[in-house]
Order: sequence, then C-alpha cells, then structure tokens
Amino acid sequence: MQYYGPTDSFGFGQLSEVWRMRELLYSFFLRDLLIRYRQVVVGVLWVLLQPIMGMLIFMGLFSVLGTNAGSSNVAYAPIVLTGMLCWQLVSSSFRDATGSLVNYRHVVTKIYFPRLLLPLASLLCATFDFLIGSLLLIPVCWMTGTAVVWSTVWLAIPIAAWLILFCAGCIAWLSSLNAHYRDVGYALPFVMQLGMFLSPIVYDVERLRHVLNEKWLWLYEANPIATCVGLLRWAIMGTPLPSSIGMALAAAITALVFLSGLSWFQHADQQLADRI
Amino acid sequence: MSIETIHLDKVCKRFRLGTANEYGRLTEAIASNVVKWLRQSPAPKPSSCSDSPTQQLEDGWFWALRDIDLSIQSGDIVGIVGRNGAGKSTLLKILSRIVTPTQGRVGVRGRVGSLLEVGTGFHPELTGRENVFLNGALLGMPRAEIRRRFDEIVAFAEIDSFLDTPVKRYSSGMAVRLAFAVAAHLEPDVLIIDEVLSVGDQAFQRKCLGKASQLGDQGRTILIVSHNLSAVANLCRRAVLMQNGKIVADGAPESIIEQYLSDSQSGGGQRRWEDDESAPSSSEVRLQAVVVRGNGIDAPTGEVDIDREIVVAVDYKVLSNNAKVSVQIQVKDETGAYVFWSANAPSMSVSPDPWFGKPHPRGLYRSECRIPANFLNDTRYFISVLIGPEVGVTSLRQESVLSFLVHDTGVMRQEYTGSWHGPVIRPRLDWKTQSL
Repeated sequence: MQYYGPTDSFGFGQLSEVWRMRELLYSFFLRDLLIRYRQVVVGVLWVLLQPIMGMLIFMGLFSVLGTNAGSSNVAYAPIVLTGMLCWQLVSSSFRDATGSLVNYRHVVTKIYFPRLLLPLASLLCATFDFLIGSLLLIPVCWMTGTAVVWSTVWLAIPIAAWLILFCAGCIAWLSSLNAHYRDVGYALPFVMQLGMFLSPIVYDVERLRHVLNEKWLWLYEANPIATCVGLLRWAIMGTPLPSSIGMALAAAITALVFLSGLSWFQHADQQLADRI
Repeated sequence: MSIETIHLDKVCKRFRLGTANEYGRLTEAIASNVVKWLRQSPAPKPSSCSDSPTQQLEDGWFWALRDIDLSIQSGDIVGIVGRNGAGKSTLLKILSRIVTPTQGRVGVRGRVGSLLEVGTGFHPELTGRENVFLNGALLGMPRAEIRRRFDEIVAFAEIDSFLDTPVKRYSSGMAVRLAFAVAAHLEPDVLIIDEVLSVGDQAFQRKCLGKASQLGDQGRTILIVSHNLSAVANLCRRAVLMQNGKIVADGAPESIIEQYLSDSQSGGGQRRWEDDESAPSSSEVRLQAVVVRGNGIDAPTGEVDIDREIVVAVDYKVLSNNAKVSVQIQVKDETGAYVFWSANAPSMSVSPDPWFGKPHPRGLYRSECRIPANFLNDTRYFISVLIGPEVGVTSLRQESVLSFLVHDTGVMRQEYTGSWHGPVIRPRLDWKTQSL
C-alpha cells in the first residue's frame, strides 16, 4: 500500500514519479505537437521559418543601421541564428509552460497525474523545435563560409542540456506561480522582451566589452541564458569563451533555480486543485 | 481472499470559504506576507479538525472533511451517499490524489482510475483514436496495453465510424460512452466514479452498471457517488453515509439508504415534530409535519423527477375551536433567490380549497399544494411554511423547513444537451411559430 498526505520534502520524489509516468509525458508531447499543426497549412515548416525570419529581420536591421552586432571574426548570420534558436527555446517553453497548468485546469482538478508533466511537456515541445531548428546551422554556416570548430562542436550537446535544465527550473516556478497568481502570465511578456535584450541574442557579447567594463561583465554572464548562448557560439564557431567567474555563477544560479523550482512546485502542487 | 486496497487514516481537508485569495494577486500575497513577517506572527497553523466542533471556522476556513477513517477491501463496491455539500466529492478527490489532505494520510494499493467528470482529458481538437491513447495514458495505462485493448474499447463505446473524427464534433452521449469505455477497460485496481452515470441513455447506463458489477466480481474496488439511490442499492455491496464532512453510517446499502431518506436533516423529503414541546406552534395551530413527495408516489422523497408533479403537504393541528386558518408556502432556491409564494386562497388555487375561510373545528388537517411538473429547474429548493388566520397575516412561520432536489430526467434535453444552470425555474412553455 502506498501512503501519501501532506509533505514537506524537497520534491525529488516528483522526479521518480515523472520517470514512472514518462509515457504520459510522451502523450502530452504528442498531443501538443498534433494540435499545434492541425488546421495549419505550412505545417511543421513553421519550426524552421520562425528562426529564419528572426535571423533575416535582424540581419536586415543591422545592415540598414550599418552596425556590426556580431563577432569580429565570425559572420553575423550564424551568430544571430544561434541566439534566435536559444531564445526560441527559452521564450516558447516559458510561454507555453506558464499557462500549462491553468489551461489544463479542467483536467488537473479531475484526474491525478504528476503535475510536473504539464510544464515539462511544453519544454519537450520547445526542445523538439530547438533540435529541428538547429539543423539550419549547417546550411547557414556553409553559405557564410563560417569555419566550424570540429574539436569542440560536440560540447554543444551538454551546453544545450544546461540551458534546458535552467528552463526546467524556471518553468517549475512560473507554471505553479501562475496557477496561484495570474499576474505572472501578464508580466511574462514584458520580462521576456527585456530578457531578450539582456541576453546576447541578436548581438555578440564581444560588442558589450566596449560598453561594460571587464569588471562588470561577470555580472552579465551570471545570467545562465547569456552564458549558454556564449558557450554555444564558442563551441561551434570559436568566439571567445565567457569568463570563468561568470560561468561558475551561472552554474550556481542554474542549480539554485532548478532545486528551488522543484521544491516550490511540490509545495504549490499540494494546494493546486483548491486554488487553481 | 480480499485484501485492503484503500485505507484512510484520520483524514481532514480544509478549504477556504468565499472568494478570498481564490484568484489571488501576487502583490496582495506579498503584502500580507510582509505584514505577517513584520508582526513576527507565524502563519496560522490549522487547528486540528477533531478539536473543531463545527465545520466552519471563524477566519473563513471550512472543514470539508473531518476525521475520516475508512478501510475498503478488494472486491468491494461502495456507494457514498449524502446530501449536497456533505463532502462526498471531496472524499473521492482525496482518494484519487487530486486533492492533498490537510491532515492525515491516505493509502491506496494499485492503480486508481477516476471518472470524476465525463470526458475529462479529452481534447476537442484530437480525434477519438488519439483521445483514447491520451486519456488512457492520463489514467495510467501503458501505450502497449491501450493498443492491445483498443478494439474492445471502441466496441464498448459504439463509436467505430467516428474514430477519426475530432471529439469536438461528437455528441455528448458519444463522448460519455468513449470516456467510460476507456476508464472501464484500463482495469484499474480501484475505480472511482462520481455521478457520471447520470448522463447517457438508459441502455448505456445499464451497460455501465453491468460493467461495474463485473469489475467488482473480478476483485476490483469500486467507489461510487450517486444521487441515483436505486443504482446504489442495486450495484453496491456496502454504502457509506456522509453528513457535514463526517462518515455517520457505514453498512449494507439498504439500511444506509433508509437512514439517509428518513433523516430529516439529509433532505429526505419530510420533517416531522413528534413531541408537542418542540413543534412550532401559535395560539391556534401547531405544525406536525411537512412532507414533499412526487405525484403518484406515497413515500416522502428528497428528490423529485423534473417531469413529475411535486406535492407539498403540510400537516397541522388546530388548537382553538373554529379558528380560521390559511396555509402558505414560500419557495427559495439554494442561493436564497425567492422563487414563488402561494396560499390556499381561491384566487391563487387552480380549484378552490373547500376549507379556505371556513372556521376549522379542533383536529388534524392536511393542506396539500401541487407544484406543476416541468416547472422547476434541477436544483435544490427550500420550502418555508407560513400559517395565519388569513392570507397575508402570519401567526406561525417556519423558514426553510424542508429542502428537496429536483432531478433532471432529461425530458427537456432532447435537442439541447448543455447546461441548465442559472435560471431559477425551467418551465415548459407553449411555443408556436407561424409564417406571416
């Protein structure tokens, strides 16, 4: 017999439950994919169109303004594409996951399943888009004549995993907070807009070195998104490595967000059906 | 051999009443937390539910369940009865883990399938086939097993030709059938059903009840909440009566249902005052009983079918000889909305009441008022009784002396199957369209 009741634990139990119910996670993921492309003409091509459009817009913008927002030794196109892909992963997982519990409340209040699966399914969807979109880097690098650093390119996988882990921590916070306080859903778009410019998405960190003193760069790089994007560009195209203090801070923040997110989610989950 | 599959150990559940913080604002929560921190007072700990004599606490909290101890063996089919708000649904939600108890612990052995609302988890954009897999997974069935039992599910639901149609185009009956078919075939060790069998046609209801009883024979545990007492009596092997968040009786279904019906507080359709001391009275009359029954049914009932005339009978004793007595009733709904008022005056009655305005010799009288069929909505109504020497003058008044529930039989759901929630009454009116 399995007993449950009010608990104060840290929430690691949720992870084993998620693993036990992984088939449901897959079903949710499949459902999200199927629904997204139902009654859509261009279909799955949207996954590729979005980063391409983003890339073209910023390429156009900066060429009209006559500024080089990229790195000094790498073409701008792959720089901005890497940024756009990462940003798409972050923003779409944040957006979809934040509403995931609230939008599904008619089920959340009627059937039990590990609630963490819902935001995770949104993250899985965003990851799927990210992986498909990453294939675009191959033709873009080839067309712009960008030299890929073959010795470090495999590191892109653990770096992407780091970014996904950070997203997982954030969405655990966002989705459960939104279930209790709907303000989160309203505030998110503004925060995301700000976040896009606070992270090196459409520009390279190199451009900031002129503005931010080296003394303050570590603070900027404490943002795990900034560090992950910088690391990805380093691994693929050989741009300068982020500072070690910045990376250490970003790693610590990621761990903090993930663990606290897990624990908060469990805490919030216990009142979810009453409060949502 | 039967083993224990469900065990509840001193389970309590506390809810917040009203809208306070229901859709709380973050700013308010932060502000109140800051205030709390400044005052250095810790968050109020819930006082133990067993200490609390009443369900409702002063600070806006409410004990929906108090000290529930329950043990259920495999193969048991248990019906849970009680009036609205007794805590039946909360109990089922705690058993199916949707709601976490405030105190106590819940133990369940094996897989739990819950059917708390029809078609829960169905996504309108997905086809029937896709929804079977999604819903099966939601109920904890591995994909391989769903694939294996897929044909059986579809056959039971009788929807083969609509398999690849989005569920949004299904009739509600088809959605119900599919939902029950998935839930019944996932072979849960514990199946929890809340009032879902009240939808769907008679034939399908019989089929569902048959399936449920078959599952019970296979040694699975089934819990049912239903207002359909005959279904509880026929299907269940054990029943539990809940009242004000507590289990007040547990035993054979027949005796529990009898207790439920005879209990005046449970809305069993009658209120009697046995001793003269406690009976409400004035100098002229003493109230003896108020009874609600369906037309053509002798026994009082707390639940009347919507398409049946409702008879409200007021029994009273006239104490002073040749007193003039006029009986009036007021009907209000659950929200307190005043539905109607009526007296036995000739101009207010379909046929004149022979005793109206006449002096009543001492003795027992019964005044009956008939509320037409297909007039009230399917909700709970409260009757107040007023007696006075003439209409508009009240010497005896009993507020909300009795309540009854109008049961929707579906007579007005041939074309429209959506919600009737909202209107205070649901009269069947005369409609005619003509081309001009």
